[in-house]
Amino acid sequence: MDEDYLKLAEDLVARASGGDVEAEAVVTHGQSTMIRVSAGEVREMSRAVSRGLGLRVIKSGRMGYAYTSDFAAPALESTVRAALALADSADRDEYRTLPRHKHSPVSAEDLKIYDDGLSGRSVDGKVGLLLEVERVALGYDPRVVATLYCSYHDELSRVYLANSHGFCGSYERTGIVAYLRAVARDESEQASGMGLGWSVFYEDLDPPEIGAEAARRALELLGGTPVRTQQAEVVLDPFAGTELLSFLAEALTGEATQRGRSFLMGKLGEKIAAEGVCLIDDGRLVGGLASAPFDGEGVPSSRTRLIANGRLEGLLYDTYTANVEGTTSTGNGQRGSHRTLPHPAPTNLYLEPSSTPVAELIGGVEKGLYVTSTMNTGGINPINGDYSVGASGLWVENGEIVRPVTEVTVAGNMLEMLANVQGTADDLRFIPLAASVGAPTMVIGGMTIGGN
Amino acid sequence: MTEVELVPEESARRVLSEAVKNGGDLSEIYIEDRQSTTLSLEDSKVEEAVRGLDRGAGIRVFYGGLATYAHSDDLSEASLLTAAREAASAARGTNRSQVLAFTHAHSDLVFTSQRPFDEVSDRAKGELLRDLDREARVYDPRVSQVQVLYGEYRRRVWIGNSEGLWAEDERNILRLILVVMARRQDLVQESIRGIGGQMGLELLDQVDPVAEVRDAAASAVRMLDAEPAPAGPMPVVMNHGWGGVLFHEACGHALEADAVMQGGSIFAGRLGERVASPLITLVDDATLPGRRGSFRFDDDGRPSQRTVLIEQGVLREYMWDLAQARSAGRQSTGNGRRESFRYLPMPRMTNTLIEAGESDPDDILRSVKRGLYVKMLGGGQADTARGDFVFSVNEGYLIEDGRLTAPVRGANLIGNGPEILREITMVGNDLELDKGLGMCGKGQQVPVGVGQPTLLIPSITVGGTKGH
Repeated sequence: MDEDYLKLAEDLVARASGGDVEAEAVVTHGQSTMIRVSAGEVREMSRAVSRGLGLRVIKSGRMGYAYTSDFAAPALESTVRAALALADSADRDEYRTLPRHKHSPVSAEDLKIYDDGLSGRSVDGKVGLLLEVERVALGYDPRVVATLYCSYHDELSRVYLANSHGFCGSYERTGIVAYLRAVARDESEQASGMGLGWSVFYEDLDPPEIGAEAARRALELLGGTPVRTQQAEVVLDPFAGTELLSFLAEALTGEATQRGRSFLMGKLGEKIAAEGVCLIDDGRLVGGLASAPFDGEGVPSSRTRLIANGRLEGLLYDTYTANVEGTTSTGNGQRGSHRTLPHPAPTNLYLEPSSTPVAELIGGVEKGLYVTSTMNTGGINPINGDYSVGASGLWVENGEIVRPVTEVTVAGNMLEMLANVQGTADDLRFIPLAASVGAPTMVIGGMTIGGN
Repeated sequence: MTEVELVPEESARRVLSEAVKNGGDLSEIYIEDRQSTTLSLEDSKVEEAVRGLDRGAGIRVFYGGLATYAHSDDLSEASLLTAAREAASAARGTNRSQVLAFTHAHSDLVFTSQRPFDEVSDRAKGELLRDLDREARVYDPRVSQVQVLYGEYRRRVWIGNSEGLWAEDERNILRLILVVMARRQDLVQESIRGIGGQMGLELLDQVDPVAEVRDAAASAVRMLDAEPAPAGPMPVVMNHGWGGVLFHEACGHALEADAVMQGGSIFAGRLGERVASPLITLVDDATLPGRRGSFRFDDDGRPSQRTVLIEQGVLREYMWDLAQARSAGRQSTGNGRRESFRYLPMPRMTNTLIEAGESDPDDILRSVKRGLYVKMLGGGQADTARGDFVFSVNEGYLIEDGRLTAPVRGANLIGNGPEILREITMVGNDLELDKGLGMCGKGQQVPVGVGQPTLLIPSITVGGTKGH
């Protein structure tokens, strides 16, 4: 950690605040590596050091924000000036305040989110790791003919945050992800499948499994055809399940409910899901990709039960939406980067698994689609709850997988889907595609499958 | 260089030379300066007013089939030389390659900004947002929420390489997004409209944002009466303009050279073959003035061009960037684009459109006995390996006996891009480009344009919740 950056944040807060002006500064500093391979050769390699600074001011309830990647004195000076000037263009809102925590009781060390060996790893080693991912995928079966986007990314990020109420804190974390699509082909058909793995610690990544997963997923879809349009059960694997949950999470923010942008508006305290459904957001999850001692505005991270045994028990709040609601922030004021203001968003969000093995869960499905790949999240609408995605997967009859299915849609309404969750398996898996979201395989009844 | 000399040319040459010290085939420096302002309104309040500066450079070295890259937010020569050494490290030669003197590339294209962004104060822009909110709310009492997002940025790039290329470009992008929600009891419907383009504030004089926000309100209110969409195969008439995004996703991405070269594209190895109905001519054109996907030089420094991809049904060309073109031993088509200096360029679409046909759009509608009219497509996704796509319909209507009847909600379109291209039976004479909001994500976000005339797709699977 570079304490100069924390001093820089404090210095900017001191320059911008005073009188009726509250101020908060965030400085980020990161190192990253990206590698892409194709057909056994490295195609792209990129390494970077990047940094940024964001300054938020609140002038009697009017908020202004400015950011810069240039840390030279003139750029810092115009950043302070811009933030203060922009506040005059915004409307006054009495709920706009900065939090008043001085520090977080959560220790970054206990969270196990930082691999201090990552920065010492050689690029050659990372290239070797990724080539192994691809080699396993291509060697898995002669019908696997190519890979797409076979990539490795790692990032070491450091965050420094200070505000005019005396908050001052920093942490560092690491994240590594490798993924690819394997393309499988036989005489007449072509299909692709995704393999993905992630870890906080370099040593925890499992390259052969990533390659094998992509190959398996592509091969099992070869020869798939649509089924006829019908009502049926749907089994969502963790890829499809986490996608659903990430949209559900949007509807579970204080912002969406207060702004009338959530199909769960006004349902706090009500039973909204089947009995066994428990949904948790845990910013303190040990080893979680989104775990941190504090959120994007210096509120200590916490564990929030959103749905407990089917009842909607909580929502995700940042300081502003908590003020509007007359409650306290849940530590979910997340910011995408130094360019953005905090908004309520999940940290590590997951649906609690059961102890049922996946095979047993599928064994109980009379007739339905086991979804292993989805397309177009544009059809998932957290405002009115409409859910409609393109899907591929495996057809299940009397508990047995009988054939591959492609080119169908799966549709329903999220409120009905929550009520129709018939069971979950024991295979909770986090898939960090958009956020850190985890789901076990789950069965949902009464869905519409659109085919031919 | 203009105004501020971010990196003097002499300094750039030393950096390029350092980057080929291990005998790389080609080194390149990409310098960027982006200043942006956004204002956003919700709940009738301008809540967020943000200004930002992104400035940095990236150094790329080609060595055989490999491209290595390093970038930095710090434009001092010392930092750039460090990045150059990092980018050079994968090359294995011993002799430094030559760096030629720069020749400034010229483009005949002039993209003017008649009214620069700073001609109007932030306060006045905030006032525009408040006006639009009021217009939407007085339109109908069922309007329950309005979001207005105003964004402008000025992005300048300088690209130099060891073969002596020096190109400069400036891209001014303005975008106003209007989201209106209407509510009746528990039912909420949302409609999105907006305007955008590569120009200055004159855009607000050319297109009336008030008309747009009223249209958004009207559409959201109308969709309150929408029925659940039917499910199953049926004819679909696609409205002109933004509907072209379907072909952007379902065919365009499979025509980008990276997909083609990796064997993952349904169109690989099929140049000269008939891949679409003879009614279809598909073009990618980065030279259109005022359009979001346009530029004078791409992010490899190549001049922009118009590329005919499919000509009357026959596959003519793919879209190439410098890296893919080098490995194929051919010329780039000027489709190398990147989100910022933090990324390597890749082959990307610019403004992609289907050219006008001969049918009267009313005749197209009248030819359908029972089907779906797609007025406004939402987001979509396609699989380049198979060409399968799924799109959501933001605003759709049933067609009954050649006339539009009830609005429908929750519809998805699912199909196969190449199949649809072959099956299209009517192409309207009403080519229109989109309103200028398009953003394409392929690991990196870049602004794009799409366009098409009204089209008839004789059969496509609609995924709704209501049985057929």
